[in-house]
Amino acid sequence: MPAQTDTLLRYRPWRGTLRGPGWAAAAMARASVTLLARRRLYWGLFALVLLVFFFFFYGQYLVVWITTQTADDTVLIGGVKVPVANFTKFLDRLALNGTDHTFGNFIWFEGYVVVILLALAGSVLVGNDFHHGSLPFYLAKPIGRWHYVLGKCLGIGIVINLATTVPAVALWVEAGLLYDWQTYYFDNLDLLAGVLGYGLVLTVTLSLLVVATAVWVRQTVPMVMVWMGLFVLLRLLAGWLVDGLKADPEWRLIDLWNDLYLVGLWCLQADPATVRPQPQPAYWQAAVVVAGVCGACAGYLRRRVQAVEIIG
Amino acid sequence: MQQAVTEQDATAPPAPADLAPCPAPLGAPCPTPLGAPDPSPLLLFEQASKWYGSVLALNQVTLELTGGITGLVGANGAGKSTLLRLATGQLRPTLGRVSVRGTDAWDWRARRLVGYCPDVDAFYEDMTGRAFVGVMARLCGYDRREARRRTEAVLERVGMADRADRRVAGYSKGMRQRIKLAQALLHDPALLVLDEPLSGIDPIGRQELLELFQALAGQGKCLLISSHELEALEKLTNHVVIMARGRVAAVGTLAQIRGLLDDHPVSVRIDVDAARAVARRLLDLPDVLAVEVDDAGLVVKARHPKRVFAAVGRVLIEEHAEVRRLEPLDESAHAILGYLLGGSGRT
Repeated sequence: MPAQTDTLLRYRPWRGTLRGPGWAAAAMARASVTLLARRRLYWGLFALVLLVFFFFFYGQYLVVWITTQTADDTVLIGGVKVPVANFTKFLDRLALNGTDHTFGNFIWFEGYVVVILLALAGSVLVGNDFHHGSLPFYLAKPIGRWHYVLGKCLGIGIVINLATTVPAVALWVEAGLLYDWQTYYFDNLDLLAGVLGYGLVLTVTLSLLVVATAVWVRQTVPMVMVWMGLFVLLRLLAGWLVDGLKADPEWRLIDLWNDLYLVGLWCLQADPATVRPQPQPAYWQAAVVVAGVCGACAGYLRRRVQAVEIIG
Repeated sequence: MQQAVTEQDATAPPAPADLAPCPAPLGAPCPTPLGAPDPSPLLLFEQASKWYGSVLALNQVTLELTGGITGLVGANGAGKSTLLRLATGQLRPTLGRVSVRGTDAWDWRARRLVGYCPDVDAFYEDMTGRAFVGVMARLCGYDRREARRRTEAVLERVGMADRADRRVAGYSKGMRQRIKLAQALLHDPALLVLDEPLSGIDPIGRQELLELFQALAGQGKCLLISSHELEALEKLTNHVVIMARGRVAAVGTLAQIRGLLDDHPVSVRIDVDAARAVARRLLDLPDVLAVEVDDAGLVVKARHPKRVFAAVGRVLIEEHAEVRRLEPLDESAHAILGYLLGGSGRT
């Protein structure tokens, strides 16, 4: 490497305007998604996400096709005529008909994969920065602490939306094509807004929760354990208390994924009486819990990003 | 321990008048993100203290850097890393203030003037070196095209252009050091803070990096280099900040600091014929405390080295002595550290 003293780095003069740290957060988000995309495990989990999506996608198509094409047909099973429409009865529970519960149910089922996806993503994207000490590289650049958090939240938000909101919007588009699209799209714009609102709630809550827990526990295994505790154990406990012991429905509020589901259904303007399983707490109660979780995560992050701990 | 704080060294390369806090352009003055060229010091610590819980890591440090290369030395736990982290805005002082060109170092705008090469080499191991430096360029605020151009330029500058497409996981320690250095140079910072930049570098690579540091200093950059490798540091600069127990024990050139150590007279080895005659004459000098004569010559212990060296020269000429060797024995950074910190001076 020759010593070069005439011009530093052979730069030509650059007179552009430096972008603000908000752009740096966007760059960090892109880098985060790229990092995840390099791992086969994430592609495997995304395959599961797609599996759920295609189940809903083709299920919705199947229900419409059977009801419109073979509505009155019957098939012989053991000498008994069974209407073809009865074969799709088991799908009624999923409400594969382009209504509010279609999108609510879809995101609910995607949640099982999303929770695992985020537990692993949190340890890779955030936990490693703290555990291995790579944070100084970021914080030595002209960005603030909150820009770092924002960048990571954006990266995680992209993952969340790729697994939930984007396919849900695709289902909405598909539903319009299956029914009368001219009326469906215009009559159900509020459903689209509801899907986007649900996605926003998921993005804000889960990205803050991922970053906060990753900053706290840092490594993959503890992270997965914490998330399983939050989303599996608490869910089982809530079901046991409310369905088994017939406790107040407010006990379901300890199940965060259920709270997000209720807030999502609120965005989708679903009738609270149609939410399964019953009884459920009121929408506003779930919203308060979700807001509380967001506030707690933001408060925790604020304390952590201020000084010493962010280095250690 | 001597408390010998002096002003910035006169021998260190001075900061040019147009050393502006320029975020990007080189070779041409540019408007700066913090305004017009500022007469305020590039890096200023004002009574800065840092507590980690009940541990005082940095104790009322006052320090001013304007340009050139400054070595930061001290024993483990002396507070070097804390000082560097405060300088780069990684930490906020508990008391006092740290500023870069007048802007609080904690403020993200100040970091447009600062390049930091940390001692840790924890990267995303899945990334290639080029991708990592590219992401760092985007974090500096450059658009995609400029980020790519700067990435290539710095990779070439640190000798990694041909190896940057390999995954970081496969890099040697020296290659990691170069990548770290590359990301610190991306935005052409006025202040470069380097924490153990020579660690793990082979001798040839070390010489290349020393030349790079000198070239950067020659272009008006201010380099603050923390290193335990005193011999390498002495090749770069004789301006040092010596830290001990969270305090700045001394700032200045090695000669200045050595001159202030009254408790420890300078030892000078003179290999000369007629050693006894010369020794007799030297003992008459008021600043000479002792002379030891041996087979090869003599060792003089004296105060006020400048006066003594002038007098010794006169004596040697008058005695027509043939000098084979004349060498100060304890003006090295090692020796000075040993006197200041106690023990051998090893850091």
